[in-house]
Amino acid sequence: MSSDDAKHAALEEAKREVEEAESLTGGSAVAVHATTGPRRTPLVTLAWVAPGTIWLLLFLIAPLVMIVLVSVWQKTPVGFEPFAFTTEGYTKLFQTPVYLDTLKDTIIRALVVTGLCILIGYPIAYFLARGVKSIRYQIALFVFVLAPFWVAYVVRIVAWLPVLGRQGVINYFLVEVIGVRAEPIDALLYSNFAIILALVQLYVLFMVTPIFFQLATLDNSAIEAARDLGATPAKVFREVILPLSLPGVLIGCIFVFVLVMGEFATVRLIGGGTIQSVGTLVYDYYKLPDLPTAAAGATILVAVMTIGVAILLRFSKIREVV
Amino acid sequence: MSDEQSGLVLKDVFRVFPGDVVAVSDVNLHVQNGEYVVFLGPSGCGKTTTLRMIGGHDDPSSGTITIDGELMNGVAPAQRPITTVFQHYALFPHKSVLQNVAFGLKMQGVDKAEREAQAKAAIDLVGLTKMMDRKPRELSGGQQQRVALARVLVTRPKAILLDEPLGDLDRLLQMKMRVELRALQRELGITFIHVTHNQEEALSMADRIVVMGDAVIQQVGTPEELARHPRNEFVAKFMGDNNVFHGTVSGANGGNVVIDTPHGKVEVTGSGTAGQPGSMAIRANAVKVSTDAVPAVNGVKVRLDFAEYLGDSVKLHLDLDGQPFMAKVPEERYTEIRAYEGKDVTASWAIEDGHLLEQ
Repeated sequence: MSSDDAKHAALEEAKREVEEAESLTGGSAVAVHATTGPRRTPLVTLAWVAPGTIWLLLFLIAPLVMIVLVSVWQKTPVGFEPFAFTTEGYTKLFQTPVYLDTLKDTIIRALVVTGLCILIGYPIAYFLARGVKSIRYQIALFVFVLAPFWVAYVVRIVAWLPVLGRQGVINYFLVEVIGVRAEPIDALLYSNFAIILALVQLYVLFMVTPIFFQLATLDNSAIEAARDLGATPAKVFREVILPLSLPGVLIGCIFVFVLVMGEFATVRLIGGGTIQSVGTLVYDYYKLPDLPTAAAGATILVAVMTIGVAILLRFSKIREVV
Repeated sequence: MSDEQSGLVLKDVFRVFPGDVVAVSDVNLHVQNGEYVVFLGPSGCGKTTTLRMIGGHDDPSSGTITIDGELMNGVAPAQRPITTVFQHYALFPHKSVLQNVAFGLKMQGVDKAEREAQAKAAIDLVGLTKMMDRKPRELSGGQQQRVALARVLVTRPKAILLDEPLGDLDRLLQMKMRVELRALQRELGITFIHVTHNQEEALSMADRIVVMGDAVIQQVGTPEELARHPRNEFVAKFMGDNNVFHGTVSGANGGNVVIDTPHGKVEVTGSGTAGQPGSMAIRANAVKVSTDAVPAVNGVKVRLDFAEYLGDSVKLHLDLDGQPFMAKVPEERYTEIRAYEGKDVTASWAIEDGHLLEQ
C-alpha cells in the first residue's frame, strides 16, 4: 500500500467515525455521504469500545449500583446486613428535617455558585479568547488562570482561613488599619458567605475553560458578516457571540453544579462544622457508622444531580447550537 | 454625476502590511454600476485584500476608494452601500434560514413583520422557500450559498462582493451556480465583484476580468480579450493553454516583428527594437498540427507525447526540445492523431494568431 493509499484509507476511516458518532448521538440532519472502503468488522469495533466501557463499568456503574444496594440494606451496629432489604435509611432521612433543609441549602448553594461562576467566568473567558490577540499571550494567560490548580485542593481551601478568620487579613485591615470597625467580623469565616466565596474560587475555572474554548474556536467570519450587515458591537455580542458560546456555558454549568452539589471538604473546613451540605451529612452517617443511611443520602444526591443536569440539557437544546 | 464618478473607483490603491509586505500595489480600476467583474489570480496575488478594502474590512495604506463619487476610506463596512458574501458563507449556525436572511434588516431596525416579509421575498428569489425554517447545517453547500446571497440581497446593496463563492462546491454544482449567479446578477442589475483563482469560472461569468499577480493588476479586459490577447507572460500562463516563446528581436517585416528564439524564428504582429528581448504567445487551439515540412517561421518540430481526449476537442501534449508545448485540435481528429503518439510532427501557426507580449 502506497502512502497515498494509506492516507486515503485513514481519511475514510475518520469520516466513518464521525458518521458513526453522529448516528449514535441522534445525528444531525446533514445528508450523510456514503463512503466506500472496507467496513470495520464487529470485533474491531468491540476492541475500540471495550476500554472505555470497562472503565465506566468498573469505576462509575459498579460503585453506583453498590451505593444503591447498600442504601436498601439493613443497618447493623457494625455496618450492614447484605440482602436484607429495607427502606429504613430513606425513611430516616425524610423524617429528619435537617436532611431536607440541608438538601435544599445544598441545591441553593450549588445554583448560587454556578450563577456567580458564570458572572465571573464569562468575562474572563471572553477577554482571554477574544480580547487577547496574540496566541502566545493567550496561552500564557490561560496557564496563569489555571495557576490555582497547581496547588493542592485542601491547601487552596485552608488558604482562606488566614484571609477570612477573626484575626485574618481582612479583619486586621478593617479593625487595625482603617479602623472602620471596632470589633472583627465573625461572619467572614464559618458562614455561608465564606463557603460560597471559597467554592467560587475553587470552581470558576471549570466555567472559564469550556467557555474559553467555545469562544476561541468561534467562527470569526460569522462575526465579520454580522458587522458587515450593520450589527453594532453590542448586537454582535447579543446576536452571534453569546448564542454561539452557550454550549460552553452549559458545559461549565454542568461541571460546577455537579461538583458543588457533591462538595464536602470545603463546607467542612470553611463552614467550621456549623454549616452542613449533603456531602458532610453523608460523611457523618458514615462515621456513626450507619452505612445504609449514608448510602441513601448519597443516592438521593445523585438523583438530584441527574435531574439538575437533565433540566439543563432539556432547556438548552445544546445539540441545535453546535 | 459624471460617468467617471459613478460606480466603484479605486485610485492609486496600495496596501502594505507590517513588515513591508506589499499586498496590493498601485491598483487603479473603475467598475461601472451593474457590471459583473471578476478578480482572478493565484493565491497571495492581492485579490482578496483588494476585495476586503472595497468591502471595508481592510483599509488602503494609500489611495482612495469611491462609490458613486463618495469617498469610502475609513467608512465602516456596514455604512457602505456594499455587502460581502464571505468565503464559506459565514452563515449564523444558530439561526434559521429566515432569521439569517432577516438579520441585516433587523440590524437596521426594521420591524419584525416588515423584515420577515422582505426576507421571505429574498428567500423566494433564490428558490429556498421550502427551507425557510431550517438551520444552515441542514442545507447542502449550494443551498447555503443561496442563503448567503439572499442575506445580502435583502439589504439592497449597490454592489455585492463575493469571495471565492463557488470554492466550497463540487464541480457539477459549481457549473450550475455559475449560471444561476450570472442570471441573478442580470435580473437584479447590481454590481457583482467576484474573487476567484479559477480561470474557467472567471471566463464564464465575468463582464470584465481583472487579472492580478504579484500584488498588481496584470490586465483588465473582457473574457475574450484575455483569452485571445493576454498582455504579458503572467496572464498568458495563468489563463492557460498558451505557449510562450522568448527570444531576441532580430528585425521587422512590414507591420510584424521577427524574434529569434532557441526553437527558430517567430514572426508576430507588432513592433520592437532589434537586439531587445522579445516574447510572444500562441494559443493551443491556434496551433496547427500536421506532418508537413517545418516552415521557416512560426513552425517547430515537436514530438507528440500524448493525445488527451476532452470530449469536444483533443488536447495534444507535445514535447518541444524537452519543454512542454500544447495544441488543441477538433475532436474528429482523435483517431487519426493518436497514430502519431511518440512520433515527430510539425506544429505551426498563422502570423495573426500569435501575439507579442509585453516584457
